[in-house]
Amino acid sequence: MISELDLEDIQGNIVKAYGRYGFPLARFVFYRVEDAEKGRLFVQRVTPLVTTSAPWSKKLKVDIPAVAINIAFTYEGLKSLDVPTDTLHGFPDEFTMGMKARRAILGDTGPNHYKHWDSIWNHPDDPTAQSVHILIGINGKSDKALDACYQEICGILEQTGGVTQLKGHRGPNGAEDLEFQPANALAGGTEHFGYADGISSPYFEGCGEDPRYIVGGGKPTGQDPASPKGWEPLAAGEFVFGHPDEAGGFPEAPGPPLFSRNGTYLVYRKLHENVGSFNALIEEEGKKFGSKEWFAAKLSGRWRNGAPLVSFPTEEGANRFAAELGMLKGKVHNKTATEAETQRYRELQLKLTAFDYTNDNDGARCPFGSHTRRNNPRSALEFGVKGAFKTPGALSNRRRILRRGLPYGKVEDATRNDGDHGIVMMILNVDLSRQFEFVQEQWINYGNDFKLANDRDPLVGNHGSDENGRGAGRMVIEGDTNKPPYFCSGIPTLVETRGGDYFFVPSMTCLRMIARGLVDPT
Amino acid sequence: MANQSGNAYALTALFPILHGVPTKCPEGMEGQTHTACVRHLLQDVLRVSEDSPMARVPDTYLSRFCILLDVPYQGAPTVLEHLKSNYLVFEVNFHGTLEPWLAGMWKAIEPEVRSLLQNCYGFDKVTDCASFIDYVKKCQIETTFFFEGSTDEPVAVQLKNLYLKQEFSHFVFANQGKSAAELKAAFEEFVARTQPDNLEAPTWRPGAYQLETATVGRKVMGAGTQ
Amino acid sequence: MSNIAGKAYAMNVITPMRWYTAWITRLIFFVASKRPATTIGLITLSLIHYARWVIIEANQFPHVNDDQPKEELKYTYMMFFSNFNGSWDQYVDSFSSAIPDGLDLFWKLNIRYPKSVPMLPFHKYITSNQIWSDHYYNAYPMAASNDVKSAKKVSGALAAFIADTKNSGADEFQQKYNKLVLGLQHDVSAMGPNPIVSLSAWAVEKRLVEESMAAAGGGL
Repeated sequence: MISELDLEDIQGNIVKAYGRYGFPLARFVFYRVEDAEKGRLFVQRVTPLVTTSAPWSKKLKVDIPAVAINIAFTYEGLKSLDVPTDTLHGFPDEFTMGMKARRAILGDTGPNHYKHWDSIWNHPDDPTAQSVHILIGINGKSDKALDACYQEICGILEQTGGVTQLKGHRGPNGAEDLEFQPANALAGGTEHFGYADGISSPYFEGCGEDPRYIVGGGKPTGQDPASPKGWEPLAAGEFVFGHPDEAGGFPEAPGPPLFSRNGTYLVYRKLHENVGSFNALIEEEGKKFGSKEWFAAKLSGRWRNGAPLVSFPTEEGANRFAAELGMLKGKVHNKTATEAETQRYRELQLKLTAFDYTNDNDGARCPFGSHTRRNNPRSALEFGVKGAFKTPGALSNRRRILRRGLPYGKVEDATRNDGDHGIVMMILNVDLSRQFEFVQEQWINYGNDFKLANDRDPLVGNHGSDENGRGAGRMVIEGDTNKPPYFCSGIPTLVETRGGDYFFVPSMTCLRMIARGLVDPT
Repeated sequence: MANQSGNAYALTALFPILHGVPTKCPEGMEGQTHTACVRHLLQDVLRVSEDSPMARVPDTYLSRFCILLDVPYQGAPTVLEHLKSNYLVFEVNFHGTLEPWLAGMWKAIEPEVRSLLQNCYGFDKVTDCASFIDYVKKCQIETTFFFEGSTDEPVAVQLKNLYLKQEFSHFVFANQGKSAAELKAAFEEFVARTQPDNLEAPTWRPGAYQLETATVGRKVMGAGTQ
Repeated sequence: MSNIAGKAYAMNVITPMRWYTAWITRLIFFVASKRPATTIGLITLSLIHYARWVIIEANQFPHVNDDQPKEELKYTYMMFFSNFNGSWDQYVDSFSSAIPDGLDLFWKLNIRYPKSVPMLPFHKYITSNQIWSDHYYNAYPMAASNDVKSAKKVSGALAAFIADTKNSGADEFQQKYNKLVLGLQHDVSAMGPNPIVSLSAWAVEKRLVEESMAAAGGGL
């Protein structure tokens, strides 16, 4: 097992969740290549700006830069740059088809259908076609730095020509005319429903990130999940091509090997959040359930302040935890914390991710159907039968996905759905069908693996509506001997797809080869 | 007996398909072999889901037909060998025991059985139910290991259970938060409507693939059953 | 031609084994049938309605009359038939990740069986030895194996509850009802058609439904 990855060759967004490094702002810019040679020149000029996964640390005397830039290509994008047919044919169907064509599998139907997407994704001549070729993501610490970088890239575009920057993102005024998709962290690190976001992320071998994040981020070992012994890193090959994966082999990838090595796929999805519906839901159902915050926690699997239900089953306990964590965080960041306080802070941070569902086999604390339990079941799929599988996470380890992204927009009126507010979600993995699409289809828009028949993820499932227009989503909130179960119905679709596609994130080596037209699978 | 697991039975039969071209071919299949005709019947003629002939065969859980053209070659240096005939493979999981189930199949879908098996060696000797049962037993292969991952109840019971599960699901969600009196009254109505003790109706029809048409024997107020 | 009938997938695999080691595999299956611990992984996966293994020796191919040529084979063959829920990929992946040792136990004496880990050669082995179903029938396309088992539990619990509350007043009824639904809280999610696991299968299904409706005179 290779334990050292060539981090300088891997693009930075794969290893680094930029939010963690203090990049609260982003712009996502999309392009179509009109001329192959000029397109390659554009890529060539942008390449030196691209951020890699090389660690930023005081020890290595590498500062965190003011901006981080990454670039990715759709199938049509690679084709437009003259990547050879043989290589293109090595990509799997799902990537070649593009995300729109996969809508039946993804549940991008009804309100999620691409006819409702921002116009940038629908070419006027042929809305079914994949007209977006290149994605450049710019993450910045400040608006000034962000804009400076953006202008630099615009300047490069002007020089080379042959590539069109696509407009057509819907913005705050409802018009679809933005020339890039802006995104911005919200105060308190939440998204628009008020949930703390970006708490846990898969940790893979060789990623170079702080090993503290293996706990809860890696795969469960079967030992005490509250301690580091309970976790070990995932195989790098689940997230980066060219490295051994969790299935004892290498992930299938287009050739030649140097083309795909250290690359991965990126799923870009603009997800609109129906804030009005969400707030109405937790208000109404919260009243009936007994507590608004508790109800909101049951939908997610975490309290809105981030505390996991499994470890903090009561509102009081969760609030105490969050208050102490918040207080200590402030001190640590201001460098006013004592040694003991810093130690305590680390302990509490651990509690955010150091848990499993093995003591909650009936779902009394964290519902089987809650968002976090569905999307990352840990060892829950053993259903408490210890040793049933080769490893406790056998059914989950190959379904992990890296989540990157930021909220966009601002809620002006929390009672309405039609404002400009949502999440720019980016998911990275080596196998679109086995990882992202599987989770979307089997765990978000279906429930059999959780013994929940056809029930969907309450927060992000596509619930549809009944003949009266009432949301058709349902959720079982398990009870226990003290409290009967609560059967929640009428859940409307809370998150709607407004755009996106599948991109390939090349390594730095591959990027240079694409730019110079040197890819040759012979 | 490895074919049986509780009340569930695993029947595997390999019917050897006649060589050459039938004297009388189905329409559009003139000059095509027996094997091609069998496949045509299975793929193009037999309807699917609730319209499949197997839906009419009582106590059938899941069944399939496939055609074994040859044994698979694993590459050098393993032996390359061939079957001398093609086989119509019939794999079925049903409730009960062999002979009564086969009798039920003959009674329910004799024409479809004939149209398929008349393409097979030895079927010309089949004239009635008893000879059909003999014929199948001749073509049966003993199951080595039968894993039953579901239940072994009669299909009618499974379907009624599924109907009840679905209806009770709706009941539970619709009556969340009701008062004790309302709940009791609603449940009494539920029992009267769903008739849990009545296996015949209302229930799910075998092979039903969509919710809109799944239920049979539901009484509509004053309008008889539908 | 389809391997899919609602929530169930029909997998048919035939693989050769050496005639002189077939008895060992038979013995392994025999022990498995007597020892519940062998199948605990399979049971926990809960993806299967019914599955079977059938070992067929060369002289066991049915020979119904003298017109039919007699088979002459060197190898013994193992046929595997499964009715499972989820996609082909999910099924094969689950087995390979969760119960590779069990899989290997059953298949290890098959010729050129590559072991279930690493996964890709195992995928290839299954695919190259798989036969497609020409007609697949499922009595309950909208029910996964979990749903069928769950339905049995619901039905039994309802019957007991109805008997138990025959003379209950409203308050007692509600108390007992709450206990009932607590016991059935993982059994009352509603069923429906299978999610679309394969675009090509879905397209074929759509075409057949349309043809069916056209044949029936335009449908509803």
